[in-house]
Amino acid sequence: MLRVEGLTRRYGDLLALDRVSLEVRPGEIVGLLGANGAGKSTLLRTAAGLQAPDAGSVTVAGVDLARDPREAARRLGYAAEEPSFYDELSADEHLAFVSAVRGLAPEDGRAHARRLLELLELAGRADEPVRRFSHGMCKKLSFAAAVLHEPPVLLCDEALEGFDVAAALAAKQELRRLAAAGCAVLFASHITETVERLCDRAVILHRGRNARTLDRMAWGAPATGLSPLEREFLAVARST
Amino acid sequence: MPRPDDCSAAFRALRRALLSRRLAAVGGLLRVELLAIGALTGAFIAWQARLPLDHLAHDAGPWAAVRALALLLGACALAGGVLAGARHRRRLAGGAPELPWLALPVAATALARHLAWESGLHALWTAVPAVALLAAALGLVPAWALALLAAGAAAALAGCARLGCALAWALAVRRLPEGPGEPLRRLLSAAMLRGRAARLPTPRWTGSTWRALLDKDLRLSWRPTPARGPAVTWLAITVLAAAVWLAPVERPLAGMLSAALVLAAAAALGDWLLALACCDPFAALRGLPLGPRAVWGARATWVAAGALATAALLALAARGLDSGARATFLVWCAGATLAVGLLAVHYGMTLFPRGAAARRLFGLMLGLALAASLMIPLFGWLVLLAALVHSARRLPRWWRLEEREC
Repeated sequence: MLRVEGLTRRYGDLLALDRVSLEVRPGEIVGLLGANGAGKSTLLRTAAGLQAPDAGSVTVAGVDLARDPREAARRLGYAAEEPSFYDELSADEHLAFVSAVRGLAPEDGRAHARRLLELLELAGRADEPVRRFSHGMCKKLSFAAAVLHEPPVLLCDEALEGFDVAAALAAKQELRRLAAAGCAVLFASHITETVERLCDRAVILHRGRNARTLDRMAWGAPATGLSPLEREFLAVARST
Repeated sequence: MPRPDDCSAAFRALRRALLSRRLAAVGGLLRVELLAIGALTGAFIAWQARLPLDHLAHDAGPWAAVRALALLLGACALAGGVLAGARHRRRLAGGAPELPWLALPVAATALARHLAWESGLHALWTAVPAVALLAAALGLVPAWALALLAAGAAAALAGCARLGCALAWALAVRRLPEGPGEPLRRLLSAAMLRGRAARLPTPRWTGSTWRALLDKDLRLSWRPTPARGPAVTWLAITVLAAAVWLAPVERPLAGMLSAALVLAAAAALGDWLLALACCDPFAALRGLPLGPRAVWGARATWVAAGALATAALLALAARGLDSGARATFLVWCAGATLAVGLLAVHYGMTLFPRGAAARRLFGLMLGLALAASLMIPLFGWLVLLAALVHSARRLPRWWRLEEREC
């Protein structure tokens, strides 16, 4: 479970987060909506331990982030909006490094990485240096690194942005699978359609404040299946 | 709409903003520390220069001192030009960070001027010894001559920085293949395409954090990253430090040369470790359950390996020394490598991800230790150990670090 309580963060005079509180229960995918600059990325970066809050607390699967950041990081996966990697390592090497640091057994790490790379259609280029990757491919690698250890809490910051249609669908399925296994997912996006389809609840941030929390019932039954355009795209992609 | 070549006002505003942002990015305490190190280095240079200038002024008259001072200031300006030129050469070869400029409707000449200005700022490092030399001559030469020398030195420094950048530009353009378009655009675009590697070997899957960190460091040092140059430099100087003992020179001279080279090798080892820290992407690393102990342990392993390798190589090369002298020499060499290497490890961690600031502080601290040892024998060790202890106490701040722009 992810619990954020009274989180406040300033950048100089700018109040980026103003006493934001929210909770993501195990098995739940919560969408974090907001305009540009609403504080979504700040909230996720702070919850991921990449920057310290000015006030408030973050609890990751029962661990206080401020008290035991290492244990919290162990239980957390974070797919950044602007991912960064070792440019001269390959995707395979990067995932091998992440797997070792996260304490996965070598065979498990290798198997998980292979599955994810194939799922996201990166397997064919997994031995190329990351600096040759496009933005979308970097985002896929970031997503793979975040879910490699099947964390109990997952933070996704515009994680599917830049994904092609097939990879986006596969990633959504992977998120649903993780949630079904008990993972608490906080999914930040500015695309309401993605949140409508994927999430169980939505939190709307406005000027650093938790403006509204909506249950899935509030936006009606989610659209199921593929849109006509997605169907056409997949037909072309699969035919070649 | 302004014309592409009419953007000098925008560039002036950008330069002002860049200068103020960079100044603001250096924290208050660090600013005081840098000023103190600069002042101490300057004071040392002034102290070293004062006596010879005084002798010269006394024996050959104030004009001889003015001539000597002019020569020294000229050397400072030349050194500044070399620094600026080297930086500009790297900038033009690097390409990628400058590529977004190409999307703007900016005239190539204005962009080239701006890039040269950025590189030219590095020449300012030599202003510290120049000011110290001028201060050393206070009261020895007429005040108006000193003022003229100061103005001349500033102009020479600016001129040399421009000359250095112009030379770097000429060298870079000379290697550029023929093609359509402006040379700067072709140069920056070509830099992006250079060095595209083939497929990389299969990774080693391990369950150990330390092994993963060491393996990653080795791979990054082997490939074309900023860490490769310092690693090669360290190996080359270490081999040279051992080779000195095999050269046909007297043992005391060989010992002195070897010790000096061991110090240079230790500095290169530290530079390599700092370059490795610079390669670490902040968000990727900090999102992982990596504590300061694991990071320090992996980096300290390289330092220990470096110290051992240095000692082993020197033990083989310096077999002619008697056992007592050899043991003392080896302990000194290994100790210096350990202390300097660990200092780099600490700065790389406590200032992460501000690699440039860590490298500057490391260089300044080594300079200070060297100056202290020249003033009072072995005093540099005290300075080095004090810096080591001070930086070690800051290691737990690893968890409080944030990504800030330099």
